[in-house]
Amino acid sequence: MSYCVHCGVELEQSARRCPLCNTPVIDPAILAAEDAQTFFPTQPAKVEPVSRRGMAMLISSMLASVAVCCGLLNLVLKPHMAWSFFVVGAAAMLWVWAVLPLITPKTPLWLRLTLDVAAVGLYVWIISLALHGQRWFVGLAVPLLLFSAITVGVIGWIVKRRHSILSTVTMVLAALGCYGLEIELCYDRFVSHGVSLSWSLVVCAVCFGLCVPLVVIRRVPSLREEARRRFHV
Amino acid sequence: MANWDTPWYRLDNAGTMYSALQKERYSAIYRFSAWMTEKVDPEALQRAVDRTMPRFPSFAVRMRRGLFWSYLEPNTAPGPFIKPDVADPCQPVRYKEDNGWLIRVYYYFHRISIEVFHAVSDGTGGLVFFRTLLAAYLEELGHKIPPGPGLLDLNEPPRPEEWEDAYLRYAGKTARAPVLMKRAYPNLGESEPFYTFHVTMGFMPVDKVKEKSKAMGVSITEYMAAVLLQVLMEKQHRERPHRELPVALAVPVDLRGLFPSETLRNFILTVQPVIDPNLGDWTLEEIASQVHHSMRQHVTAKELQAVFTRNVRYQTNPVLRCLPFFLKDPVVALSYRSRGVRPYSAVFTNPGLFKVPPEMAPHIEHMEVVLGQATVARPHVSSISYGNTMEITFAGTQKDAQTERDFFRALVRLGIPVKVVSNRR
Repeated sequence: MSYCVHCGVELEQSARRCPLCNTPVIDPAILAAEDAQTFFPTQPAKVEPVSRRGMAMLISSMLASVAVCCGLLNLVLKPHMAWSFFVVGAAAMLWVWAVLPLITPKTPLWLRLTLDVAAVGLYVWIISLALHGQRWFVGLAVPLLLFSAITVGVIGWIVKRRHSILSTVTMVLAALGCYGLEIELCYDRFVSHGVSLSWSLVVCAVCFGLCVPLVVIRRVPSLREEARRRFHV
Repeated sequence: MANWDTPWYRLDNAGTMYSALQKERYSAIYRFSAWMTEKVDPEALQRAVDRTMPRFPSFAVRMRRGLFWSYLEPNTAPGPFIKPDVADPCQPVRYKEDNGWLIRVYYYFHRISIEVFHAVSDGTGGLVFFRTLLAAYLEELGHKIPPGPGLLDLNEPPRPEEWEDAYLRYAGKTARAPVLMKRAYPNLGESEPFYTFHVTMGFMPVDKVKEKSKAMGVSITEYMAAVLLQVLMEKQHRERPHRELPVALAVPVDLRGLFPSETLRNFILTVQPVIDPNLGDWTLEEIASQVHHSMRQHVTAKELQAVFTRNVRYQTNPVLRCLPFFLKDPVVALSYRSRGVRPYSAVFTNPGLFKVPPEMAPHIEHMEVVLGQATVARPHVSSISYGNTMEITFAGTQKDAQTERDFFRALVRLGIPVKVVSNRR
């Protein structure tokens, strides 16, 4: 039998350290009993994982059911219009967004983002087909989608790098400022075939205006410490 | 899906609260373990569980969610099946796991453990179930165990008194208005990652503890509560707070002693011995005397009846009854935080001596008890005695072992020999 030299309590035969103060137990008499049975089990409890496959099946069947019902209804309700394609397209888009991550959880972020954007593109393309809008689809929707995807990807990458909160907010603001410029650029090129930036410059100025003090605070250690103290949560 | 004529049980007052509080980071589960003199035979234990469950219909239940209240329904699924024990006991209850069973049975070498969801039964009911299960297990091994006090006869049918709602039965006409409960020293620590649950047990001779408590003129529970209060007070003092808060314990009281009932469901209330460090330095004798008189003053049928009558009125209020559960549960959780967490520094429960018939006694070496994790990172303290061995458990998710270290060191300094074991890795 061993005792902790600090706590004065008796310890179990197999204890290597006192559980109260972590002091090592050095008792030559019990070295032979190294494989002694422990008082508590060491096997961790298993927590049943949520069944991703079951959830994927459930959502898939719900979306498929909605698509089939609307397709059948379209046969009797306004059959001259293929309105059910909107619903089927939306169901397909939601399937890519919600079910694909469940059945392929290890897909890298960039691939998932590309697939999500492709799904939106497909849905918008279906709408453009129905409305005879090939021109706006190619000239406006595709560039907007691409710029949106790039901006979301850049923000995701910034957040994933786990910079400080100040750096992350600065970079996200800069990305949003650039995104405003891109939106107006696309719109102007499509509508007036030229570029005359207006509101996006205001958004951009506000974003970059907010970035400047954040960069200064980030760079000056005393300011950074003061901000940390005053705004801690 | 149950049939329309399947019987069901309304949750009792305490059960309503525990079901509303249940979440992944709080475990209203308690565990009793018996360390047997022989290695456990799992097959005999499973047979014993299968024989025991039908005798305890209030334990053989599953939780169901109604629109206004949760309720209990007989569980017809196979089980509960015994399992090898796990390193982190008292995992939170998950209604859809284990076929919906709200009790679990574990075995590990010489140890048999049951874990019970507090909405089903309190410690007294849990011990009756456990004693009966242990007797059935020993019978499976060929020993003859006669029924006795707190040990039910498996051959007789269950009696309705065993699942009565004793709170409702004894709720009187006078309800005490809620009293303002001051914030107590919270004794918070840094929380461990999810599912890590530290259990530290101390074993000591009952006669030695009795000798010390008798010298101060208090009971064993009051003596241990006094030592714990002193340890917590000194811990707070070392942290040098701006203003020292009162140190208070939540000590559950079994109401069956004051209001005769055979129920195996919940029938407890907590009392709150408090020490205010702002009144000056306290010696252990002074604290023990304060705890002793506080318990004598507040553990009276009159006062406790007025308190649980107020609690029952919340449950029977026609307006509150008509509110759906998703509106009621957050209010219950909030009220538990303000009236069940903030006014206390720790929980200390002591069901006392685990008595068994003489035929059972030679087969059990010692008993253990563990309370599940609190809503905050601080240890829950529980204690049980068997023969001449008293066991005290500190269980919680906090990283440091300071409270238990100070407590067991204090006992050693007081001349009580302590053996400590822990699942800390």
